[in-house]
Amino acid sequence: MKHLLNLIDGDKDIGRGNKFWAGFFLVLICFFLYPTFVSSFRASNTAFYLLNIPMGFGLCLIWGYCGILSFGHVAYYGLAGYAYGIIAGNLLGNSWGPILGVLGGLVVCTIISGIFGYFVFYSRIQKWIIPILTLVFTLLLETFFVQTSGYQWRVGRVLLGGFNGMTNIPFFQIGTFEFEGYSFYYYCLVIVLVLFFGLRILVNSKFGQIVIGIREDELRTEMLGYDIRFLQCVTFIISANLAGISGLLYVQWGNYITPSQMGILQAALPVIWCAVGGRNSFIAVIFATILLNWLSFTLSSQGNQYALVIIGTLLVVTMVFFPRGIVVMIFEKINKNI
Amino acid sequence: MDIGPLILNLIYQLFANSAFLFLSALGLIIILGMMNIINLAHGEFMMIGAYVATITYHAGIPFVISVILSFIVVALFGSIIELLIIRRFYGRELGALVVTWGISLVLGQGTLLLFGPFMPSIKIPGGSYKFGVFSYSEYWLILIGVCILLIVLLWWVYSFTNYGLQAKATMQNPDMAKCLGVSTKKIYTITFSIGAGLAGLGGALLSPTMTIAPFMGQQFVAPAFITVVVGGATNVIYGAVGSSLILSAVKTNIGMAFGAFFGTVALLLTALIVIRIMPNGISATFQRYIDKKSLSTK
Amino acid sequence: MDSHQEIISTHNLNKKFGGIVVAKNVNFSVNKGEFRCLIGPNGAGKSTLFSLLCGIEKADSGQITILNKNVTELKAFQRIKLGLGLKFQTNKAFQSLSIKDNLSISDNNFDIKKNKIAEERYQLALSEFKLKSEGAKLARELPHNMLQWLEITMILASFPKIVLLDEPTAGMSVEETLFTGSVLKRLNATGLTIIVVEHDMQFVKDVANKITVLHEGEIFSEGTAEEVSNSEEVKNIYLGRD
Repeated sequence: MKHLLNLIDGDKDIGRGNKFWAGFFLVLICFFLYPTFVSSFRASNTAFYLLNIPMGFGLCLIWGYCGILSFGHVAYYGLAGYAYGIIAGNLLGNSWGPILGVLGGLVVCTIISGIFGYFVFYSRIQKWIIPILTLVFTLLLETFFVQTSGYQWRVGRVLLGGFNGMTNIPFFQIGTFEFEGYSFYYYCLVIVLVLFFGLRILVNSKFGQIVIGIREDELRTEMLGYDIRFLQCVTFIISANLAGISGLLYVQWGNYITPSQMGILQAALPVIWCAVGGRNSFIAVIFATILLNWLSFTLSSQGNQYALVIIGTLLVVTMVFFPRGIVVMIFEKINKNI
Repeated sequence: MDIGPLILNLIYQLFANSAFLFLSALGLIIILGMMNIINLAHGEFMMIGAYVATITYHAGIPFVISVILSFIVVALFGSIIELLIIRRFYGRELGALVVTWGISLVLGQGTLLLFGPFMPSIKIPGGSYKFGVFSYSEYWLILIGVCILLIVLLWWVYSFTNYGLQAKATMQNPDMAKCLGVSTKKIYTITFSIGAGLAGLGGALLSPTMTIAPFMGQQFVAPAFITVVVGGATNVIYGAVGSSLILSAVKTNIGMAFGAFFGTVALLLTALIVIRIMPNGISATFQRYIDKKSLSTK
Repeated sequence: MDSHQEIISTHNLNKKFGGIVVAKNVNFSVNKGEFRCLIGPNGAGKSTLFSLLCGIEKADSGQITILNKNVTELKAFQRIKLGLGLKFQTNKAFQSLSIKDNLSISDNNFDIKKNKIAEERYQLALSEFKLKSEGAKLARELPHNMLQWLEITMILASFPKIVLLDEPTAGMSVEETLFTGSVLKRLNATGLTIIVVEHDMQFVKDVANKITVLHEGEIFSEGTAEEVSNSEEVKNIYLGRD
């Protein structure tokens, strides 16, 4: 146990030591108390910001720690969501439905990302091709799902729904308890926490060190005796599952999914969160995801059409002036002054 | 069923699809080949080209001039973007990918806000011929001709101009080129500008065949990028030509047999297979073949 | 324990890059515990031989045997796991990582049982090269000689039986070169097989049991330091008189 605690406090993510964790737990308590001060609806909205964090974690892992930019990571968000919708939708009334749906979503992510990863990492392609291929893949998925309207496009009794997407996706439930509103908020919060600590352990472990080595210098790492292709594949699969978890939470939040969730505009979002926050820090990703989602929600709910322009500009400005990410660079400055 | 007209139509479709891919990907390949930068705003550059074309066309300017104007406008725009933003990202390819994506978001949404959701379309020039049961669009025949013209033009630029010589040197060995007095910075700006201009040109040329809207550039993203990946950046001309021909062959046949969506799926699968066998694209393999032949005559 | 046992060898190794022959019927063999130096004019194929031995490049034909195993079809990382270590010609320590991180990534003891002698070698390198005290420093802040020493120590962290060093003293001063040589000799004395590509003849004479001279992808000659440095033919290939 002490060993795990040491790993969590490791230096492969920003923030460590007693002061940091004190602050962290303070913020955490605020998050836990938050629902008592707001309506179920507001809590649910905030849950939306939280549920996207695992997707950010996934991209952070594969891009920030492993050095591979997956532009179309939303493919796994969508695949998991649709898979859950199909499985849970067909098992309506069965209390095991949602749980099987979650398992099914993760299995689909694992298989598809495994195949994709095999093709990509076991061939000696140049690294710049990977972002393009992942982007093309998610666009293809979107195109496929868009043309699935009509009654013939169904699995069991669940319609895929074409452009308008799949609706009536069941909430997540354990036994007879359905997670929605307040309970859904806590469910998301707990999942994000578990993933956060799990990932901190992962990147500070031997596995994480090797993955960082792969990012820094593939050949050198291979010549230290590591099977880099296998490890890249495994990291990719883990990160795809993280994106899938966000997808699962999404459909459990809104009870619907559309093909545009795998489209080019959605694909940009996790990249923006990681670029703006700092792609090699899970803490930074948490900050950026919540902040940017809140920003675009506020902008679009005010009917502000400039949302995409603002976010695009933010991305350009960040990349030019804060190449390592705004949150990461602020932390670095704070550490220097201490 | 008469086999003659069928084959003729197949050939026509093959070259028409090739022309589409070639025009969509050319600008991207040139920038990639020189600076190893993937310009994700490529689709938006094509869109701007289409917008310039339609605005000038509907202001009474002949279509041919509109097309040339599109090249010039987007080329200038590209050079500004390069000077302000892109040049900070040489050597940081992933960073360039992300920043050009940001630019594409701004351009796309910005266009929507400035010009609204649709622009008036351009009537497709030329008529159509009927041969047997198949009809052929005169305009696509013209586009095929334009592609051939572009290939010859590019070949001439790379072989006979100062820019071409300096560009080839910079591509092969930028440090050495600098030592020999080549202003690599200028070469990069000019190249990005040409790449952007060609994207605009492609957008303008293809605009009569499609709806002109702010996010129209996105339909080029998948085909253009697959063409680039398959072609590779080692030799820009061979890569672009070879790739668009092969991919068009795949897309035409599968698309005819199974529909447009499966045609695109087949493109992706082809790309995956090609890069498994030829990781640096067709142009690299072709270049190696040429190098081998010239060396073995020792 | 037969100390004249071949530990790494090639049989009729051939490799071409385009029209250029980089390895031609190479029958290279090193015995256990040897300290072998590989010399030859530029372009002779020394680094290529290392690449072929390690599996970074695949040979066109021929066989490679490491520790009595035919490794010709094995991937690079699999050959490393058998007990091989490679130091690259251009320094490849992880520049953006700290010394501590560099060493801990390299530290993997796979199936090699906790080998006391190998552990001692690693500790020797750590202390002689003064890497223990500088743990938090980033690799890119190190002077060049320390970077080279860091990379050498990194390879030792995986307890190899054979190390291939490609120009380990490149860019070092005379004292640093001598020092490196002495540390390597001590490591060799514990039974570690060392193969070094070098240009510095002083260094080579100081450390090597045996020298292999490569020229245009072929083994030109082999012998002791005395024999090779006195050979007219070897001098000629360096001076370009064919």
